[in-house]
Amino acid sequence: MSLPPVLVLLGFIGVPIVLAFAFSLGHTSGPNEIISLIGQEIYEKDSWWGTLDAYRAVFQDSRFGPDLRTTLAVTFIATFLVVVMALGMGIYQRIVGGKLAMVMISLSLVPLFVPVVIAAFAIRTFYDGNGFLKSLLYHFGIDFPTITMTTNAITIGTIWTSLPFAILMVSSGLQSIPDALIETAQDAGASFLRIVRTIMIPLAFVPIVIAITFTAIGIMGSFTVPYFLGANQPTMLGVEIALFFGPYNRPQLSVVMAFVIFIAASLVAVLYVWANVRSAKQSGRI
Amino acid sequence: MKKSALKKLVAVLASAGLMLLALAPTPASANQTIRLYIGADTNVKDLWEKALLPEFYKAYPDYKVEITYDRNGQNDAQTLAKVVASKATRKDPGMDVIDGGMTVQLGGAGLLWRGTPGLLPNLRNVPQVLIKNGKGGIPYRASLVLLAYNSKNVKTPPKTLAEVLAWAKANPGKFTYNAPSGGGSGFAFVQTVLDTNLTKKEVDTLVTLPNKTLQAKWEKGFETLRELNKVTYGQNGTYPVNNAATLDLLSKGLVDMGPVWSDQIASALKAGTMPKDIKTTTISNPSFTGGPAFLGIPNNSPNRNAARVLVNWVLSPAAQNIIVTGVMNGLPVIPVELLDASAAASIGAVDITTLRPGYLNSNATDLRSAWASKVPGK
Repeated sequence: MSLPPVLVLLGFIGVPIVLAFAFSLGHTSGPNEIISLIGQEIYEKDSWWGTLDAYRAVFQDSRFGPDLRTTLAVTFIATFLVVVMALGMGIYQRIVGGKLAMVMISLSLVPLFVPVVIAAFAIRTFYDGNGFLKSLLYHFGIDFPTITMTTNAITIGTIWTSLPFAILMVSSGLQSIPDALIETAQDAGASFLRIVRTIMIPLAFVPIVIAITFTAIGIMGSFTVPYFLGANQPTMLGVEIALFFGPYNRPQLSVVMAFVIFIAASLVAVLYVWANVRSAKQSGRI
Repeated sequence: MKKSALKKLVAVLASAGLMLLALAPTPASANQTIRLYIGADTNVKDLWEKALLPEFYKAYPDYKVEITYDRNGQNDAQTLAKVVASKATRKDPGMDVIDGGMTVQLGGAGLLWRGTPGLLPNLRNVPQVLIKNGKGGIPYRASLVLLAYNSKNVKTPPKTLAEVLAWAKANPGKFTYNAPSGGGSGFAFVQTVLDTNLTKKEVDTLVTLPNKTLQAKWEKGFETLRELNKVTYGQNGTYPVNNAATLDLLSKGLVDMGPVWSDQIASALKAGTMPKDIKTTTISNPSFTGGPAFLGIPNNSPNRNAARVLVNWVLSPAAQNIIVTGVMNGLPVIPVELLDASAAASIGAVDITTLRPGYLNSNATDLRSAWASKVPGK
């Protein structure tokens, strides 16, 4: 039963990854022959397993360090803020509840249905040199700086696009906590913070970790938001990979960068696996 | 009596048929679906879809054109690979006519069918030097980069590159150009600044041959461009991502000056998306780059005959009129005298054979990469 999907995964995802990895190590013959003929700055293997010259070239490129730092910083800050905000919304809905909380949660999901490219363009128009924010503050005599084309704008944009999914995940996790547990704690005189810290977060731990990992991995590989809202340099690796692949015609170096992102994303994924194993152990499944 | 009349009729028909064959290369057996690949900005796509093809179908109702569109030619490298690979493996390249920057490279690699007036009669009207530069690419329209400025705030527009740079420094935040990786207008500005430190012969070399050693001479130009970081729009060493973003900043009045494509600004002015105060001028010493755009018919296209019908029609005065007056506002590759009077009047006197050409593709990719690592944010 599971054979067809496995074959599709192997054929359409596994094989290209192996080929790309071989290409990044300088294996330029066989299926990689044509792209090697066309691309510029191709490093060919000098031993049986390949060469690390392409990796060396990327790490020595003056753009790569700042790009990697920007990517990791945006990922870390945006993910942190997204999860904090999602927790805030979720806890408010769980403890206070009511119509207002329902309306707020529903409204917060709207960005989920706005295509990212539209959202990025809207955000750019809003914060631009003669955008709404700047025009409004200008009437009050405040000269607000133009933040488009900066890393701050990327962070705002990624929060905007990642928040709905995190809220969906976290709030549903918090909803599944039995009322009895929270009420018992309240009766025993536990403070609000204590209830959040010792009951709500531990019981919604797995959904929170899922929200963190999916948000972080999504932000790490984002292209549209940094392309529209960020500076030319440094930029996020998603944009840099596209630039190296297309306009600079350096496919091998872009593949190398893709593998660096892949490793960073894998580290985040480890967190996800760890959380799942932990919860499985607690519930006695393993 | 009857017999001889019949003979005459047959003779007349046959000679008429021969004449038709000679005039328009349309063998009846040809496959009549033409696969057109466009790797260019959206205005080129509009030119084909909204202006040229409707008229082509009127002239040749039996033909059908299928368009594959790649925005700004971002996947040129891969498409190029596809054509090269199809030649090596003797397969169908998947396209019959190519419109895009990569035609120059394909021509250089000998992968394009070299047009001859015998099979492409309208080629006779196209300047020989352009055909020669195409190396198989068939020039079909031209455009150049102009300096756009807001006439409300700029009373005496700069006439030379040095004056442009001086104006930018005297008016902080009011000049910009887009990143070379995102479009040809910013690329032209960057190349023009770099070229000031190269001899004419050295520039010619970079236009025709891959050359890494000459690229070292760009360093001084990049220094000039770095100095602009503090005075271009935003004043923080950031630049608009593509041609359209420069036009956007101009139309909103956020900048007063910037390099733009002649056809894009003309279209924007006509459509009213660009205020009438925005005017254009050419600069000299050196001038911005420009030149013809080429169509390519891959050597191994299985449908070359149909492709020739389309290309030959595009070079006809009727189609060249559309290129000048339609959505494109481009420059023709045939003498202005062959155009309609109104079309001829709208373009004035630009000699497209003397435009300063852009670098060869492989040098251009090096320039884009070098600019990104040496200029923005430094």
